[in-house]
Amino acid sequence: MDRFCFKTNIWIVLLALTVATPIFVVASAWLLPGGELWTHFAQTLLTDLVISTVILLFGVGLGVSVLGAILAYLVVMVEFPGRRWLEWALFLPFAIPAYVLAFVYLGVFDYSGYAQVWMREALGLSGFDIRSGHWAIILTFILVFYPYVYMMARASFKRQKIHMIEAGKMLGASPIRVFWKISVPLARPAIAAGLLVTLMETLADFGVVSLFNYSTFTTAIYSAWGDFRSIEVAAQLASLLVLVAFFLIYFERRARGKAKYYSTDVSHIRPYTANGWVGWLLFAFVFSVFMLSFAMPILQIIIWSVDIFAKEWSGKYVSFFTSTAILTLSAAALTVTVATVLALPSRCKSKSRVLQTLIRFSTLGYALPGSVMAVGLMYGVQNISLISEYFGGSSLNHFLFGSIALLLFAYVSRFMAIAYNSTNASSEQIKPVFEQSARLLGASRFRLIWQVYLPMMTPGIMAGALLVAVDVMKELPATYLLRPFGWDTLAIRVYELSAEGLFERAAVPALMMVVFGAVLMFAFNRLDSSQL
Amino acid sequence: MLTKRIIVSILALATLVVGSITLIQAAADDVVTVYSSRKEHLIQPLFEQFTKDTGIEVNYLTGKGGDLIERMKLEGNNTPADMFMTVDAGDLWYAGTQDVFRSVLTDTLLNNIPSHLRDPEGLWMGLSVRARTIVYSTERVDPFELSTYADLADDKWQGRLCLRTSKKIYTKSLVASIVHNEGEEGAEAIVSGWVNNLAATPNAKDSHVMNAILAGQCDVGLVNTYYFGRLIEETPGAPLSLFWANQETSGVHVNVSGAGVTKHASNAEGAIQLLEWLSSAKAQAIYGSLNKEYPANQSVASDEVVSAWGAFKQDDMNLAIAGILQADAVALMQRIGYK
Repeated sequence: MDRFCFKTNIWIVLLALTVATPIFVVASAWLLPGGELWTHFAQTLLTDLVISTVILLFGVGLGVSVLGAILAYLVVMVEFPGRRWLEWALFLPFAIPAYVLAFVYLGVFDYSGYAQVWMREALGLSGFDIRSGHWAIILTFILVFYPYVYMMARASFKRQKIHMIEAGKMLGASPIRVFWKISVPLARPAIAAGLLVTLMETLADFGVVSLFNYSTFTTAIYSAWGDFRSIEVAAQLASLLVLVAFFLIYFERRARGKAKYYSTDVSHIRPYTANGWVGWLLFAFVFSVFMLSFAMPILQIIIWSVDIFAKEWSGKYVSFFTSTAILTLSAAALTVTVATVLALPSRCKSKSRVLQTLIRFSTLGYALPGSVMAVGLMYGVQNISLISEYFGGSSLNHFLFGSIALLLFAYVSRFMAIAYNSTNASSEQIKPVFEQSARLLGASRFRLIWQVYLPMMTPGIMAGALLVAVDVMKELPATYLLRPFGWDTLAIRVYELSAEGLFERAAVPALMMVVFGAVLMFAFNRLDSSQL
Repeated sequence: MLTKRIIVSILALATLVVGSITLIQAAADDVVTVYSSRKEHLIQPLFEQFTKDTGIEVNYLTGKGGDLIERMKLEGNNTPADMFMTVDAGDLWYAGTQDVFRSVLTDTLLNNIPSHLRDPEGLWMGLSVRARTIVYSTERVDPFELSTYADLADDKWQGRLCLRTSKKIYTKSLVASIVHNEGEEGAEAIVSGWVNNLAATPNAKDSHVMNAILAGQCDVGLVNTYYFGRLIEETPGAPLSLFWANQETSGVHVNVSGAGVTKHASNAEGAIQLLEWLSSAKAQAIYGSLNKEYPANQSVASDEVVSAWGAFKQDDMNLAIAGILQADAVALMQRIGYK
């Protein structure tokens, strides 16, 4: 490695290591004894947990890939009634926190929900327990997370060369065959990237899983910590999730192989038009996904809010909203800045596989449950304090715990995966030729980045910022533990009310979150309209 | 170019916010700082009243019990918390073992809080009592069929029982009390009987248990009474009723929400004053009317709605025992497969 590369790379190494701090702290728990508790878990929960986690990941993964890709293909390649607004509307479920959606689904489809009551009373069918078995929770996760695949696949389909599709058509291939043989293989990296985010988020989920009383790996993590007061075993179990995520990323990279797509042209021509009943059938399909994943839950939330609004609303909501907005926007800006730096194209980086692996590793915090990540961070600070005290300084704990700085750090570590995924996807589309010409022309690296790379990466930066912003808005466990006094967010309000069974009241802050999320999406969409 | 300018301004905003961390709230002398796992909407009215009565401000931070204990441990003698408040005896007991509390045994507290609802060494005080008992469908169950928690393990309840998840602290404390009263083997038999009798996967919430009974999925369940209180307030005349369990034997299992003064409190005097105030008649009445819980202070009458359910005999097992036995109870439920 030449000297220049050493100097640029060392900064990236330091940045990646900093982002990965909580992962290191959590993994260091293996240095501590776990002992009897492992034996107990091995004899009781573990087999069951591993099986149900695998079934869940498999079902959700298959579901989001198929649904996300089909929806994206339809809105990009086919003209059908309602396509214009549905293309945008299909993003909206992003704004609803997964646990809120799960909550509404249970309220409607569980034994005591109206759907089942109607089924028993009007149709005379017998009721059933939707929380037993796997399919109901898998469907819930699919409806919550399909937008990740939809979003990435849609961006990829838009960049597919229209003449390849036209060639397929001229050779007489049916639209379905074109989809399978041309579009899907070309979009495979994008679908895999969306799938990866989904699987990591499913692994780390605790909210939906507890509402369904379904057991996954996180069940054991929380049991180790909450029931057996063993933060060590909790951290050991959690670091296994990071390991799983690491393998998932590895397989995604393998699946992608050497494929890199240097096309940045966006096509607005739709090769197919669905008229008549076929068009309406497509509309019905896409519309029903929108209904189930967004319209129906929102309607329920609105119904709950209306009656209770006057009682629940107070001046406090201004503060809940301000805290949410400030945290959301600053976390998004910070995370995406770091992600951009990590993703900037550079010949130095592309030469070093170790560096690339390290960067990937630093994004794995996404697979850690939020509370484990937050406690890991507190222990990280504790270690620094111990060093400081050893040298006669004072502890930093009381200064950093409950500071915005530590909370933002937690967000950056936790959501780096989604920010990096997006910035890296657009960075990979930048041809190495730019760097070569810049050097020939004697342009500084700074000018190259500022005038060439950043404008070219803008779509990825914007998409990453939006995803992080929406995720931070919905984030609960890390915010709950690390926020400063008086910084309650909307998500915290939703949790505190619904934990006490006050779901109608919880609908008020939930609705505010959805509106805020939708506004964010709209704003980012406008900022980035040149690219869409 | 526009996007670039926007990115720059967002970055500037972020820097500003990060910079503002130095503006940490300066704690004035007469402020009591509380960490609480009792939810904001249930403590804020109490603190407001306390400030009105005494002029002492209360600064609070809500969170999960285990998280907050961990945070206090790491903050050590610099912790801002003067008081830790939580909703389960197990958490109070655990915080006690982690050296978070100091012993506070003032005459006022000893008079106001009965001995089984507080730590023997005065590390924490129970402040409101939460009774967990049987709820049944008045349409499908004759109350004469009901008797004890153990009886719900009987075959006659096959397919008729709904329970809340074993992951919830209230279930854990109840099973811990059964381990205490019936021994490990007895408890194992009872809990396996329950699991055999389940009509559905255990529910995430007590309110879901009651909804399932109302919808006919099952006939009996176990709930904390204040959830029943809220349901009846919203839907008066719902065909549900409470039954006081174990009246001939150990009494109804009770848990507490409670608090203690932290070991490293910088305003211990204010925190003790707050703790005493919370045990007073005035505050105890607010506990009852806010959340339909039972007062810990026996000289205070229950809320009107609550007294309508009648008097009952409480299990007088010291609640520290529920904490000690909690891990055993969880291990037992996990062995049996109570999800």
